[in-house]
Amino acid sequence: MPANLKYLSSPSQRFAKITAGFLGGYMVSISFHLLLATWLVRESVIITMAFTGFLLWCGLLVLAFMAKRGWVIWGWYLGISLLCSLGVYLAKV
Amino acid sequence: MSNRIYNILFHTHTVSSIVISVALYVIFFAGSFSFFRDEIINWERNQSVDRVDEMSLDFDLAIDSIQSRYALYGRSVTISQPHAERRVNVRLSGTKDTLAVEEAKAARFFYVDTKTYEITDYESSYTLGEFLYRLHFFAQIPYPVGYYLSGFVAFFFLFAIITGVLIHWRKIISSFYVFRPWAKLKTIWTDAHTALGLIGLPFQLVYAVTGTFFMIKLLLLAPVVSLLYDGDKGQLYQELGHTHPSPTLSSQKLTPATDINWFVADANRIWPDFNTTRVHIDNYGDGNMQVRVEGEASTENKLLSHGHVTYLASTKAVLSKKDPLETVYLDTVKSALNSLHFADYAGLSLRLVSFVLGIITCFVILSGVMIWLTARDKKKYEGRKKFNTNVGAIYLGACLGLYPAVALFFCLVKVVPAGLEGRFPLMGNVFFVFWLAYIVYAYVIKDFGRINKHALVLAGGMGVLIPILNGIQTNQWFWRSLPSGHRDSFFVDVLWLVLSAIALVVAFKTKAKAGQQESVPNGRKKTIADKTVMRKTLGERPVLMD
Repeated sequence: MPANLKYLSSPSQRFAKITAGFLGGYMVSISFHLLLATWLVRESVIITMAFTGFLLWCGLLVLAFMAKRGWVIWGWYLGISLLCSLGVYLAKV
Repeated sequence: MSNRIYNILFHTHTVSSIVISVALYVIFFAGSFSFFRDEIINWERNQSVDRVDEMSLDFDLAIDSIQSRYALYGRSVTISQPHAERRVNVRLSGTKDTLAVEEAKAARFFYVDTKTYEITDYESSYTLGEFLYRLHFFAQIPYPVGYYLSGFVAFFFLFAIITGVLIHWRKIISSFYVFRPWAKLKTIWTDAHTALGLIGLPFQLVYAVTGTFFMIKLLLLAPVVSLLYDGDKGQLYQELGHTHPSPTLSSQKLTPATDINWFVADANRIWPDFNTTRVHIDNYGDGNMQVRVEGEASTENKLLSHGHVTYLASTKAVLSKKDPLETVYLDTVKSALNSLHFADYAGLSLRLVSFVLGIITCFVILSGVMIWLTARDKKKYEGRKKFNTNVGAIYLGACLGLYPAVALFFCLVKVVPAGLEGRFPLMGNVFFVFWLAYIVYAYVIKDFGRINKHALVLAGGMGVLIPILNGIQTNQWFWRSLPSGHRDSFFVDVLWLVLSAIALVVAFKTKAKAGQQESVPNGRKKTIADKTVMRKTLGERPVLMD
């Protein structure tokens, strides 16, 4: 019953996936909500985030584990958070 | 789902769940009892409390009582009743009057009894109900470690829920209907884990999300404050309606200080269906004194409602108001966060259902640990067997030992005399030492069946004592308490009788399954031969590949 080891990732891949999911996922979830908050009704988005913030982060953590290569998912998460941050920056200036 | 993803998810589900299992069990076990926090407190104090949604006290008598001890001029005073207890919470801010003495500039928190108008502080009012409630987010571990620990446990619980659902997704309906109590041990644990996990799924998801938010909301709010509010935390809280801009002091004293009861009554005149939950006074005794009466509509008319009226005290003019029946997104979501977690949007029956679901979740956690253990009870894992058994014994000792430890605490509350110096820390220490001793005992005997049985016997035995000790101490025997209006006393006594009966029946009726670790009948000491046979039968058992 324990998972078949042949399907599990190597230690370096595993490290990349865990950090991508935990740190990258957090960055995506936060920057995405910040983007929504700057373009939509601010306090409504922030209070909605109480529910969706951790759900999205956790979903992204799961998604990172499903990826084939940890570095690729890091790339995606970094890219998305940069795009969202750019949107926040544009709204602020 | 490909085999690769299935196995990866399976592995992450196992690892994350095993790591958090004991902490999560404690959170759910103590949390389940916390649904009855107010009942337990009223049982402890032997007080009867009328269940009404409306605050029932004379606000002016309360203010008089507070004023006899604290100078109130220029302070803000908040009186609220978040719990179904006889006392209300009072929070004083420091005064805005710059000329006041230092004493008046310090903030204060205390309770006022709604019958005697006596003032008591937090420490001397500490109760078992409060202790269990705080245990369920590890508040006994110094702040902020306990809060963050419980918050991240809740977050990884969310992770375990999502991965668990994904693993079972394809067979989620069919495996729900599968229960094979006469099959081999491993199968029983698996069936119970999936079926009960699915029954509790919506409940668990709600508690994982809201629990994570309560404990580690700082992770969400810190970037919001620094990037959207330029570091101004106060502005965020104002926008979310947690705080209100505080009016300035006019420095002209208001004489005589107006009666607060009038404002509360007036709010009830504006909306006939208005239950006051909180009264907030700014600039007490000042020309610019403002009174804000907050409340809700009754739940028959509207769930998750919130309304308020703010008055200028000197002229009794309404400065602002919000109809509780009007729906505002922000207020509704905020109330939903709390109500979903505290299960306070309906009566006792809802909390009873939540209690059962909470205990079911404890079972799901334990059955998960048992799957992990039995799946590793194979020849392939022989090298790690000792380690796995030790971990299993400690895990089970910590989880199952909590039940008798809680029962012991309920007994102590009724035995240790009320006036004793350092009473609560003493009882708390006895609780923790007993719990630790049970873990050590479990580690020493390493026999899962006996760890379970002895915990149940201890908890059942002490549980039966609880109503008896309460009867001796208060003369409020459970057959008398209901007619005399002590509903909570009756409830807690009967709850323990029912729980103890279940514990004792389970302890004495459970037969060890063949091959399960359990003491050998006839009082014969287990021989090495027995153990070898046992290991063999366990080891050769084909393991279900899900």
